[in-house]
Amino acid sequence: MGKFVPTPSCTVGPFFPAHYFGPNDNDLTVTSNAAGASSKRAQGTKIYIAGTIYEADRVPRWNSIVEFWQADASGHFAHPNDPESSKADPDFMGWGRRASEDDGYYDFITVKPGGYKDPLTGLVRAPHINVSIMGSGLMRRLVTTFFFPDEPANAGDPVFNAIPDAKVRERIILKPAKFPRAPADALCYRLDIVLQGEDETPFFLD
Amino acid sequence: MSARDAIEIDPPYDFPGYKSTALRAPKQPLIRVAPHPLEIAGPAFSRSFAKESEADLTTWGKSAPLGEKMILVGRVLDEDGKPVRNSLLELWQCNASGRYAHPVDQHNAPLDPNFLGQGKVLTGDNGEYRFVTIKPGAYPWRNHPWAWRPAHIHLSLFGNAYAQRIITQMFFPADPLLPIDPIFNSVPDPEARQRMVCKLDLEQGIEEEALGYRFDIVLRGAKSTPTGV
Ligand SMILES: [Fe+2]
Repeated sequence: MGKFVPTPSCTVGPFFPAHYFGPNDNDLTVTSNAAGASSKRAQGTKIYIAGTIYEADRVPRWNSIVEFWQADASGHFAHPNDPESSKADPDFMGWGRRASEDDGYYDFITVKPGGYKDPLTGLVRAPHINVSIMGSGLMRRLVTTFFFPDEPANAGDPVFNAIPDAKVRERIILKPAKFPRAPADALCYRLDIVLQGEDETPFFLD
Repeated sequence: MSARDAIEIDPPYDFPGYKSTALRAPKQPLIRVAPHPLEIAGPAFSRSFAKESEADLTTWGKSAPLGEKMILVGRVLDEDGKPVRNSLLELWQCNASGRYAHPVDQHNAPLDPNFLGQGKVLTGDNGEYRFVTIKPGAYPWRNHPWAWRPAHIHLSLFGNAYAQRIITQMFFPADPLLPIDPIFNSVPDPEARQRMVCKLDLEQGIEEEALGYRFDIVLRGAKSTPTGV
């Protein structure tokens, strides 16, 4: 145990500033919303992921704060904990955020992440996106992971397979879909996030 | 083993004193993947994400905001006491009247045209940070009869690894509303609660201008085990 005890978490509440969100914070393919950053496009297959966030009894949950965090198209992170960080796409930061709309809708534009070998465990990670959900009535963030359909590496992924029930695993596999709001050149997927109740999304200890 | 495993630090997802948790807390237990973090890398924000001016919330308008000016200083450390450097810290709060400049806030208290109530910094080489702001007011909420939130400042930290991400609230010493605030008291351990209270530190203030407060924040170690039971 460390010498210092961590500060407790507290709910994000309902008043997280909408102004923190640049107009493009949910578009991970551009980093130009940060002053001075590149305005080039990230490498890889552009994808659009959208869905609805529900609380109990299938009621859409608005004003939830959703964050994406993922590797780039070749499976690298621009972070010192990745031993191959020098190979990371300089035009991809891997992080995005947005609040769900009045009807619970959320969406992100990103690139399909690559798989990689986890430097800590040596296990092969399937392509995946780390997703955090925060909001009023949520004492701390909930974390889950989105996986891709028809991906052979899912079978060996340690996070995917930590879920014992195959039916529950299905709930975090992205489903091919069509959305009127998606960019024309993006592959589209749907995934709803159910905070509580039937078909509840599996969440992980982080 | 992480300190978070040894004692209950975080509030439970389902806390009856905070009503809306009943609709949003998952019913299924969280899944433990392995005795190591889900992802070891975390987002790295460059200096361009937090301009120096964003650390001063009092110069955003045409003139100074109303309220008690204060300086908030502190350090961000990990469980071993090592500084968490170059990490993004976002801060947001209501104005001196207890009103957020947020469309969702319906509290019948005046907005201050000179106060937006949001700031950002990147921590320095010793994990240090400094904000200039005003002391937020208390505000009522509809959780239960006579529900008032004690004065508090919201903080969002990214740390240097995915497992270090934390959202929390900072409270003020000797606030009479603390004992009746369900959010403050949702943290099970009374000692842990006190670590959400800042300390008066006059000399960090500005003589004849602003009060000084100190609030140090401890994040989990970058390689610590997952939280919870
Ligand atoms: Fe608040």
